[in-house]
Amino acid sequence: MAFRDDMRRTRAIVWKDLTTERRSKAGFNSVAALGITILVLFGFALGPDGAMLKAAAAGALWLAVLFAGVLAFNRSYQVELEGGALEALLLYPGARWAIFAGKLIANLIFVTAMLVIVVAVGIVLFQVRIPAQWPSLIGIMMLGVIGIVALGTFYAAMSSRSRAREVLLPLLLYPMLIPVLLASMEATKAFLIGDVMNATGAWVQMLSLFDVIFLVATFLAFEYVIEV
Amino acid sequence: MNSATVSGGIEYVVASYVITWVVLGVMLVRIVGSVRRARAEYDQARTGGFRT
Amino acid sequence: MSPVNTNAFDPPKAGPWVAIGWLSFAFFVFTQVFAVMTSPADAMMGHLQKMMYVHVPAAWVTFLAFGIVLVASLYFLMKEDERADLLAASAAEVGSLFCGLTLVLGMLWGRPTWNVWWSWDARLTSTLVLFLIFVGYLALRSFVEDPQRRGQWSAAVGILGAINVPIVWMSVRWWRTLHQIQSNPRGLSPEYLRGLLLNVAAFTLLCIWFIQRRYVAARYERAAEHASQAAALGGNDE
Repeated sequence: MAFRDDMRRTRAIVWKDLTTERRSKAGFNSVAALGITILVLFGFALGPDGAMLKAAAAGALWLAVLFAGVLAFNRSYQVELEGGALEALLLYPGARWAIFAGKLIANLIFVTAMLVIVVAVGIVLFQVRIPAQWPSLIGIMMLGVIGIVALGTFYAAMSSRSRAREVLLPLLLYPMLIPVLLASMEATKAFLIGDVMNATGAWVQMLSLFDVIFLVATFLAFEYVIEV
Repeated sequence: MNSATVSGGIEYVVASYVITWVVLGVMLVRIVGSVRRARAEYDQARTGGFRT
Repeated sequence: MSPVNTNAFDPPKAGPWVAIGWLSFAFFVFTQVFAVMTSPADAMMGHLQKMMYVHVPAAWVTFLAFGIVLVASLYFLMKEDERADLLAASAAEVGSLFCGLTLVLGMLWGRPTWNVWWSWDARLTSTLVLFLIFVGYLALRSFVEDPQRRGQWSAAVGILGAINVPIVWMSVRWWRTLHQIQSNPRGLSPEYLRGLLLNVAAFTLLCIWFIQRRYVAARYERAAEHASQAAALGGNDE
């Protein structure tokens, strides 16, 4: 009963956040454009050599998603803070995790939409051949995005309400994301340029494990972070 | 791990000890100083005057 | 102002800590000299082996300090005792310095043995990540003023960071296994072990003493803040 109510709250928050984003597409468009810009810059850093580009494509894609995604996480609370709506949201009855779940799912949809655009552009720019097992690749990308968004949404709950939020969020978030990013990059790379070491399965398992650990940890800790 | 450095490398040993001792010494001085400052601040606050 | 337990507002009690400090430093000087003097040159590493007596203890106290951050953070979230928050902060400050020292010493060891300043192995990399988490933790504390908020946020960051470090270690190790580089060090013969254990004990004493002093300073600062607030409000708070 109570659980169902919390699910309804979660859905309401997701719906509210996505509606806000849809009404002003400027936010999403700029973040996606930034992702593409970062890919272009990586292209210049790595040089025009095709083999080199292909080898580095997986890493560049994930970093572009990460750098652009970080802006989305702070935004998702900032809109609320500017309207003074976060206090009101906290005054409503119901579990705190419902708020976190709502923010997390909204960010998940936002970042996934951005990922689709960045990957599409990346495949062209980095001369990647789409592998035959592309459905599994989508699965890996989803696992990676879940890890990034869970931690990003959690840390942004703090950084967006502190001074120096622009530097604080990356400073806190990036070191925490190293395992998730490493596993995502290696698994993606194995799909894109061939699985020489036969390690994709292990990476995917580790990535799923990291997702579960960080999801549980952030859900448990969110209560302490949001209420003050 | 082909070690061509069986002998030598003594300067790295010396450097590591020097760095350790300097770091610990600086920590000692600064930490003792911070305790002293904080205690003076507390005494001043307690005996009336506002903190400056 | 805040619902936290107010016993953090009293000044800390005095203890035999000045004497403990002198003893720790004397013991540290003794173990350092003792270990360097008594250890014979290693067959493979020569005198480089002697770096073990600073590097390994520094690494150990780094993890000890971070362990204290973890335990104190958990305690703070459960009991809302601000003293635990101040202890966690003190341990993080001291731990970050030892962590930086560990990294520098590791590089000084790596250069003559592996011929590189840095190798991306699991221990080195996870120590670096630990250092970055320490830095983030301290940065967060310096950017947040409200004590309740600062305590809860930094406790959450500390706990998640502590969860993260073994995960980083595991993933980097797996990453390196695939790329196959370094071998593991051999077991340690007893004539080195004695000096090492003595130095580990000395570093542990020093680390605990540093943390205790920082904690006392933090307690005085909080007590001073409280006392001047009370004075400003008319002094009827006691």
